[in-house]
Amino acid sequence: MDIKQIKHLIKLMIDNDLTELDIASGDEKVHLKRAGEAQQPAGVPVFQAVPPAPAAPPKAEGEPAKLEELVDVRSPMVGTYYSSSSPDVDAYVDVGDSVEQDTVVCIVEAMKVMNEIKADCTGTIAEICVKNAQPVEFGQVLFRVRPAQGT
Amino acid sequence: MIRACKEMGIETVAVFSEADRNTSYLHLADDRICIGPAPSAQSYLNIARIIAAAEIADVDAIHPGYGFLAENAHFAEVCRECKIGFIGPSVESMQAMGDKIRAKELARAARVPVAPDSQGAVTTVDEAVAAAERVGYPVAIKAAAGGGGRGIRFAHNEATLRGFFNQARAEAEASFGDGRLYVEKCFENFRHIEVQILGDLHGKVLHFFERECSVQRRRQKVIEETPAPQLDRSLREEICNAAVRLAEEVDYHNAGTVEFMLDSENRFYFLEVNTRIQVEHPITEMVTGEDLVKWQIRLAAGEKLSIDQRDIAQRGCSIECRINAEDPEDNFKPSPGRIEALVPPGGYGVRWDSHVYQGYEIPSAYDSLIGKLIVHRRTREEAIATARRALEEFVIHPTRTTIPLCRKVLTHERFVKGRWDTTFIERELLNRQF
Repeated sequence: MDIKQIKHLIKLMIDNDLTELDIASGDEKVHLKRAGEAQQPAGVPVFQAVPPAPAAPPKAEGEPAKLEELVDVRSPMVGTYYSSSSPDVDAYVDVGDSVEQDTVVCIVEAMKVMNEIKADCTGTIAEICVKNAQPVEFGQVLFRVRPAQGT
Repeated sequence: MIRACKEMGIETVAVFSEADRNTSYLHLADDRICIGPAPSAQSYLNIARIIAAAEIADVDAIHPGYGFLAENAHFAEVCRECKIGFIGPSVESMQAMGDKIRAKELARAARVPVAPDSQGAVTTVDEAVAAAERVGYPVAIKAAAGGGGRGIRFAHNEATLRGFFNQARAEAEASFGDGRLYVEKCFENFRHIEVQILGDLHGKVLHFFERECSVQRRRQKVIEETPAPQLDRSLREEICNAAVRLAEEVDYHNAGTVEFMLDSENRFYFLEVNTRIQVEHPITEMVTGEDLVKWQIRLAAGEKLSIDQRDIAQRGCSIECRINAEDPEDNFKPSPGRIEALVPPGGYGVRWDSHVYQGYEIPSAYDSLIGKLIVHRRTREEAIATARRALEEFVIHPTRTTIPLCRKVLTHERFVKGRWDTTFIERELLNRQF
C-alpha cells in the first residue's frame, strides 16, 4: 500500500465520519484510528461534560424542533399507564381532544390501585407519548398539550 | 451492590429521585426508574413507590443498602407480602433488634454481657431516677426505638435527669413514633468494637471478626479499622463468640453487625445490633478476603454458608476513612454542589468506594457521605502510611471535605499508638484551632 492509497483511505474516513478502519489485503494490513470526541489528552482533567446519559431524559424523546410551546403532562407516580378505565372501553382522550384542569386523561396503576390522572391544564391533546400498559416512572411525560389561547 | 450482581450475572434496576437524575452511576445498573422528587419522604423512604417500581420492573429481590429503609422492618414485611425477596434479615429479627429494650433482653438470654440498666422501659421520671440510682450515675437515657447514636441523652445527676426526661420522651415519640425510654449505665470513655456476622437460612452463623470504630464525631463514625488494635486474642475471641451466640439466639440470617462498648478495664458490653450491611463493611472484606455483599445475595437466595469459622482469618490491617462533603473549618457545614475536579488516589492497597465523579452535582437533599477510602496493608503502620499518602494525593475541588480531619487523625500520636476512645476527636482535635 502506498501513501496515496492511505491518504485516500483517510479522506474516506473523514468524509464518512468513521473513527476506525481496518483493512487487510493479502499480507498487507492497515489499521487507521481517528481522534474523535471520545478521546481526551491523557492526564488533563475534564472540567465539563459528564458522559451523556444513554437513557434520554423523558423530556427529549425524539422530539422535532418545537415551533410552539407544548405543555407536558407528567406522571406523578411510578406504575403502569392505561389509556382507558378498562380494556373494552374507549380511551379517555385521543389526539385533538380538548382537555381542562380536571379532565381525566389516563390511569396510572400502582400496587393494584388505579389512579386517575388529571390534565392539570387547558388545551388540546397534541401528542400521546406512551402506549397502553406501558410501565412509567415518576416524572415521565405522558401527553403533550397545546395550550388554549390566552392561558 | 450493582458490581456484585454484575459479577454474579444478576440484572439490576436502580431506583432514583429527581435529585439523582442524569447521574453517571445509574448507568452501571441495567435499568433505572425514577420514583419521585428529591425529598426522601417522597422517594427513597417511600415504600409504596419503591414497591411500585419493583413491580413494574418485575424484580426478584430488593437490596435496601444502608440508611433509608434498610432497617425498616415494615418495609421488609411489605416486600414479603408482595413476594419480593428482601436481601437482609427476617422481619422478626429486624423488629427484635430494632427495639433496644428487647434486644438487651435477648442478649441477656444469650449470655452476652450487657450494661446495667433499668431492665425495661421507664414510664415516669421517678422510675427513671430510681433506675439511675440503682445503676449509678452517670447514666444514658435511651429511646427504645432509637439506635445509631440517636435518641440518647446523658445525665450526671438527678437534677439533670429530672430536667430533660419529659422532653426526651416527646422527642422519642416524634422521631421514632415510640416514646419508650430506658436508663443504662453510661461509660465515660469506651471503645466501640463491633463484630460482623453472617447467618444462613439453615441456622448457621459465622463471624468475620471485629472492627474498631472509636474515631467518631457526634457519634457518627469517621475512621474504622480492623483488627482492633491492642485487643488480645482471647478477648477478641470472647467478643466475637458473644456476637455469634446472640445471632444464634434470634435465628439471625443474612448480614448483621453486633456492636459492643469496651471499657477501660477491657470489659465489654452489648450495645445494639445493626440489621443491615454497614458502611464500613469493606475493611472486613479486605482482611478476610470475603465479598460480603455477594454473600448477602447468595444467602438471600437460600444458599448455605459453605465455609466454616476456621476458614476465616484476619490478614493484615485495613483502615477506612469516611469522606463527607462538609467543611471541617466551618463547623462541618455541608458542601453540596458541583465537583469540578476529582482525582481519587490509587496504588497498591487502596480502594475507593464512591458514587461521585468529576462533574457530579452533590445534592443538598441527602447525607454528606460522598465516598469511602479504604486501605489494606500487612501491618497497621503500613496501613496508616498508605492512608496518609492516599489522602494527600486526593484531589477534589471546590467541594470541601473531611479529608483534612482524617489526615489530622492519622498523624495524631494517640491514634498511631492505638490509645483512644469515642471521645478522641472531640477532645483531641476539635477543641484546638483547626
